[in-house]
Amino acid sequence: MWVGTFFIVFLAAVAGSSCGAARLYRFPRSARVAIQDWRPFNVAHRGSNGEIPEETALAYKRAIEEGADFIEADITATKDCVLICFHDPILDDVTDIAAHPEFRGRRATYEFEGQNLTGFFVVDFTFEELQRLRLRQRYSFRDPSFNGKLQIITFERFISIALEASRTVGIYPEIKSPVFMNKHVQWPQGKRVEDSFMEILQKYGYKGKYKSDDWNKQPIFIQSFAPTSLMYISNITDSPKIFLIDDATVRTQDTNQSYAEITSNRYLDFISNYVVGIGPWKDTIVPPNITTGYLMNATHLVSRAHSRHLQVHPYTFRNENQFLHFDFHEDPYEEFEYWIKTVKVDGLFTDFPGSLHRYQEWSSKE
Amino acid sequence: MFYVSLLLLLLLAGSDCRVFRFPFQTNEPYNIAHRGSSGEFPEESVLAYKRAIEEGADFIEADITATKDGKLICFHDLILDSVTDVHDHPEFASRKQTYVVDGVNVTGYFAVDFTLEELKSLRLIQRYPNRDQSYNGKLQIPTFEEFIAIALVSPKSERVGIYVEIKSPTFINHHVKWTEGRKFEDVFLNILKKYDYNAKYLTKEWLHKPVFIQSFDPSSLIYLHNKTSSPKILLIAPDSITSDTKQTYEEIISDDYLDYISKIVVGIGPAKEAIAPVDSNNKLLPVTDLVDKAHARGLEVHPWTFNHERNLLLPFDYHQDPYREYDMFVNTLEVDGVFTDSPESFETYRREWRIFSKRKRPYKNE
Repeated sequence: MWVGTFFIVFLAAVAGSSCGAARLYRFPRSARVAIQDWRPFNVAHRGSNGEIPEETALAYKRAIEEGADFIEADITATKDCVLICFHDPILDDVTDIAAHPEFRGRRATYEFEGQNLTGFFVVDFTFEELQRLRLRQRYSFRDPSFNGKLQIITFERFISIALEASRTVGIYPEIKSPVFMNKHVQWPQGKRVEDSFMEILQKYGYKGKYKSDDWNKQPIFIQSFAPTSLMYISNITDSPKIFLIDDATVRTQDTNQSYAEITSNRYLDFISNYVVGIGPWKDTIVPPNITTGYLMNATHLVSRAHSRHLQVHPYTFRNENQFLHFDFHEDPYEEFEYWIKTVKVDGLFTDFPGSLHRYQEWSSKE
Repeated sequence: MFYVSLLLLLLLAGSDCRVFRFPFQTNEPYNIAHRGSSGEFPEESVLAYKRAIEEGADFIEADITATKDGKLICFHDLILDSVTDVHDHPEFASRKQTYVVDGVNVTGYFAVDFTLEELKSLRLIQRYPNRDQSYNGKLQIPTFEEFIAIALVSPKSERVGIYVEIKSPTFINHHVKWTEGRKFEDVFLNILKKYDYNAKYLTKEWLHKPVFIQSFDPSSLIYLHNKTSSPKILLIAPDSITSDTKQTYEEIISDDYLDYISKIVVGIGPAKEAIAPVDSNNKLLPVTDLVDKAHARGLEVHPWTFNHERNLLLPFDYHQDPYREYDMFVNTLEVDGVFTDSPESFETYRREWRIFSKRKRPYKNE
């Protein structure tokens, strides 16, 4: 009788502790195997967003189910300094903001990374207000059946999804648009978004150099397009960092440097003091011929990075044929094969971690 | 013309003996290159067929139709408008016509109004705008005999079969007149027999010259029943009426009809949706019992068409991943062959997962 009651109370306590976003339930560390390191990383870009609206709890959980090594998120800030997972500076494209008349007056135009942008800016909303919104699938040709059902999640929630998984899953958070964040959000006591970002990571025990014991238990890559942000946090953490590189026409938001400069040998020498790898847009590594739709000759970016012991994690791999250059005959697995076997990248950002996982599983049965 | 075809005949007879060929495979579901490797090249062109063979197709597939002067060619549509440059030929401008096809008025440039020589002056174009357009204007319509030659002179050690459709026989017999009371089906069969395609399914002779004769028109297949031992396949499309016998889809897939037709054909070629229907939200509905009913009668099932237009035609359940769809049909539903626009991808699927049919040919009534 006593035992029974105690058991029920125990169960209730355990069950209770795993509910709610604020609580953190950690799976026993000893039961989890370290993530694989013998084949390129499967990085679920914004979660499994080929299937489920991007950067939602469900998209991340699906990515984990499907075998992703890392779940990836863009970390941005609300008006009240809460860090959330959200890609765009504005809410217009992936939320139902248009269906909320109470927010109509918040429409604004700001300069964002060199351009004038008009819309409903995340930085003008408190977290509580954002919770009233519902997310939708960005692309009209993807499954819309989760539209209107899922909410924006916090950075902390994102971390807990990784830590609650039954196997070791890494996180790959991005310090997103830090210049804009630091300009528009009132951080307390002269802090910056990078400080808040690091505080949260440290709260959940993310530390240690790449492949250290600490890192193996809680794998992480911190990514950003802004080199000064990566340099700034290098003073705070030894977690591995990845320098993201955009299209050849885009200049860095903080240092206003060109693509040619940041991919030069000299710059790679310099940045390799701070990062363990680069994350370039894949069309800059192997440029396509826009007219024919076929790839042209590969550049030497990957070998120059590799010779400096920098990893290369290009973005983004998508299954739909409009994203596949003709060389791949409308077959996403052919694209995976080319990038893994021929270009020899070290990780891939994909909207379809399930497909990448299946490809990797089969192709490793050599 | 006579000497050319004589030469062709001799060449083919000679070459087929000289090239070493492995026995035709019957352990795996057939890789049927639908209109050749039409994902990559304009459909039913020499290049599409050659590429399909390179990529490992078991069968190259063609729709056989007739010209004004009674020559048989490989061409899918009744009209030339969608896949040729007929609009760029002012000399043919007056040929535009309207005919009734299955009770519906169709306007265009009908192949039956052009001689073979005139059709040879046209050039093929890729039907789908999102596929590679770079071969537009370069390839001609092949004749039935040229198509057969591609299979017979293939340099590969694997034998390649032909999977040929008697296309729109009612319309053709109405519009094209051959001498001596011959019908389209007779002319079609004569060409097959000329190249020794005339053996019962899975006999030694058939394995030497693999062929399937397919049609949507049961009466054509019944007409050929006593004239050739070559195996026949009845094509089935949901929500349709047979052009010749005016039978509904429900009637064609009924137990009684399948009992009857299984004496004439060795299998059925249903649209994928007849097996795995899709709802209006582009999600799969429960699979039908069509495969079971066919298999119970010893009939093979070869569904069509597997193509990679992810954003338009693939149910969301497959997450834009062609291999998931192959898996569903081959592994779960155990179909016996697939018509695919991407024989390369299906070959990769078969090879990488080492897919063998769970059922062994020849199939007995269960």
